[in-house]
Amino acid sequence: MSARDKIFDALKDRRRTPSFFPVPKVNHSVFDDRVAIFSQNVKAAGGEVVMLKNPYRDEIVKHFPKEGEVVDTREEVSSIPYKDEIDLAIIEAEFGVAENGAVWIDPKERYPREFLTLSENIAVVLKKDAIVDTMHEAYGRIDLFGVSYALFMAGPSKTADIEQALVVGAHGAMCMKVFLY
Amino acid sequence: MKTSFDHAKSAARFIADKERAHWHDQALWFVRQKRDKAVKSIPEMEELRRAAEEIKSHTMEYLGYYLELFEERANANGIEVYWASDASEHNAIVAKLLEEYGAKRVVKSKSMLTEECGLNPYLENLGIEVTDTDLGERIVQLAKDHPSHIVLPAIHLKKEDVSKIFSKYLHTDPAKSDPEYLTHAARHHLRRKFKEADAAVTGVNFALAKEGAFVVCTNEGNADLGAALPDLHIACMGIEKVIPSAKELGVFTRLLARSATGQAITTYTSHFRKPKPGGRVCVVIVDNGRSGLLEGENSKTLSCIRCGACMNTCPVYRRSGGHSYGYVIPGPIGSVLAGAKDVSTYASLPFACTLCASCDNVCPVKIDLHERLRHERKEAIKVSKYTSKRVFLHMAAWVLQRPGLYSALMATMRFVLPHIPRSILYNRFNIWGREREMPMPAKKSFKDLYNERTR
Ligand code: SF4
Repeated sequence: MSARDKIFDALKDRRRTPSFFPVPKVNHSVFDDRVAIFSQNVKAAGGEVVMLKNPYRDEIVKHFPKEGEVVDTREEVSSIPYKDEIDLAIIEAEFGVAENGAVWIDPKERYPREFLTLSENIAVVLKKDAIVDTMHEAYGRIDLFGVSYALFMAGPSKTADIEQALVVGAHGAMCMKVFLY
Repeated sequence: MKTSFDHAKSAARFIADKERAHWHDQALWFVRQKRDKAVKSIPEMEELRRAAEEIKSHTMEYLGYYLELFEERANANGIEVYWASDASEHNAIVAKLLEEYGAKRVVKSKSMLTEECGLNPYLENLGIEVTDTDLGERIVQLAKDHPSHIVLPAIHLKKEDVSKIFSKYLHTDPAKSDPEYLTHAARHHLRRKFKEADAAVTGVNFALAKEGAFVVCTNEGNADLGAALPDLHIACMGIEKVIPSAKELGVFTRLLARSATGQAITTYTSHFRKPKPGGRVCVVIVDNGRSGLLEGENSKTLSCIRCGACMNTCPVYRRSGGHSYGYVIPGPIGSVLAGAKDVSTYASLPFACTLCASCDNVCPVKIDLHERLRHERKEAIKVSKYTSKRVFLHMAAWVLQRPGLYSALMATMRFVLPHIPRSILYNRFNIWGREREMPMPAKKSFKDLYNERTR
């Protein structure tokens, strides 16, 4: 018997089609001022929120100290695998989540996935009115059937593996700013 | 692991260094407090825990259905699915995939399953270099040690220890032990490993049946970076990791990080549904005793989302350290899982518990951990090393059923006990006397006092 057969044999009483799917009903928080709560939580996650009327590339770049390789993924990006560090990646997020400061990023294979982690700095561009209350609304909004790889990102990469001391910049971005427009 | 393994003995070694043991206790208590704060910030926490419990038990009831659905949908998305009955099949599958690919260097993000299966030594024996990329795991890997916690693998080490390890392997300045300096040194070192890697191995936090996708949660971004760079991504999961659909993630993503570290969400919550252009994604689904567990009394332990909260809150774990459990998963949940796997080897673990039930109260999926531990005690007591305890308990039960005899015996003991020499009282069969002092009996029993008062 193959491993697959063995496993399904052990689970033979658990193979019928469920007559219902659990739709957990949770009466959850709603926020009056989602932008304020979102900003607070981005900060708690080690990031920063900047209000910017026109999120043009040149305006965004000004908010980062170092001159270097900038990739604006809103424009055409070469699909050549990119293994050298990028200083700044500008990325459009589809929406944000107030309760935890996370943003939903779906590269749609328009730019290499590693841009999101190789880049030293991440500038996320997000519409002010695209912020939902909690993860329940977030998953209500996402259609994963259209996604190949996408993620929630909350602040820069971090770790507290050495004596519980929080250090920013473990593997991914050292600095993450969300530009609300 | 030998049958002579004993939690109390290994814990004794840990607490011999009082200062370090105290520091360990405090470090974990700090994490527990962060969890409390995060949990209190959402009023619907109890509702979420109930929902999580419900979703998990529903999924377990229909586990075969959801696994099959996951396989079908994942295949349709271009993800290959492999099945392994046990650890050795799992390791062989991963090795075969790597060898077919000619992969010599692998970057791995955190996965307790691969730890459970002993994947690293298996691959290393085949000449494949495995680099653990989670900082805590890299530290213990370099130190040729094992994780002592499922979320905080290096929690037993101090920054000075890390500095020593890094100065030896990463050539950092041995005089520096600042966590930021050390972390960035590791970043630099691991970046190179990522770029050289031929394949990535990750764990899976949640597999989504309906979407044929899976979710990996990290704070460091190592799973994302690993999966993005090399062309081959192997994700390893236990059969219990599947949930019906993405919709339920609303519940789990709200619970996981809050329970684990007190964050509102992990930094990266990444959804993998299709391979990257030109890439290959393989999911290895492992049983390794889980389907058996599902039919037994401890089936609820399969709901565990590996947040570590039960460890952080456990008064015994905090004071004895993860290594004292001698099993890949320590703490309350680890003790139950270890016992379910091999009761005689791990017979001492359910006794490494005060039955305070603090773990039940923090568990985001509401596993009745202390009841499980009590159940495991019933099993463990049958093991030969607990014969004297078992015999004594049977005697006690017999006496307690006979009130007249009990009163007479107690009256005698109150008189005799203070006169028995220590060497006899604390003989080697009295296992309660090993670490404890017997209280001296009161002159009069409660019953005597009560009768005097009401006379
Ligand atoms: S048993 Fe509960 S508290 Fe412990 S690690 Fe699992 S989910 Fe977390």
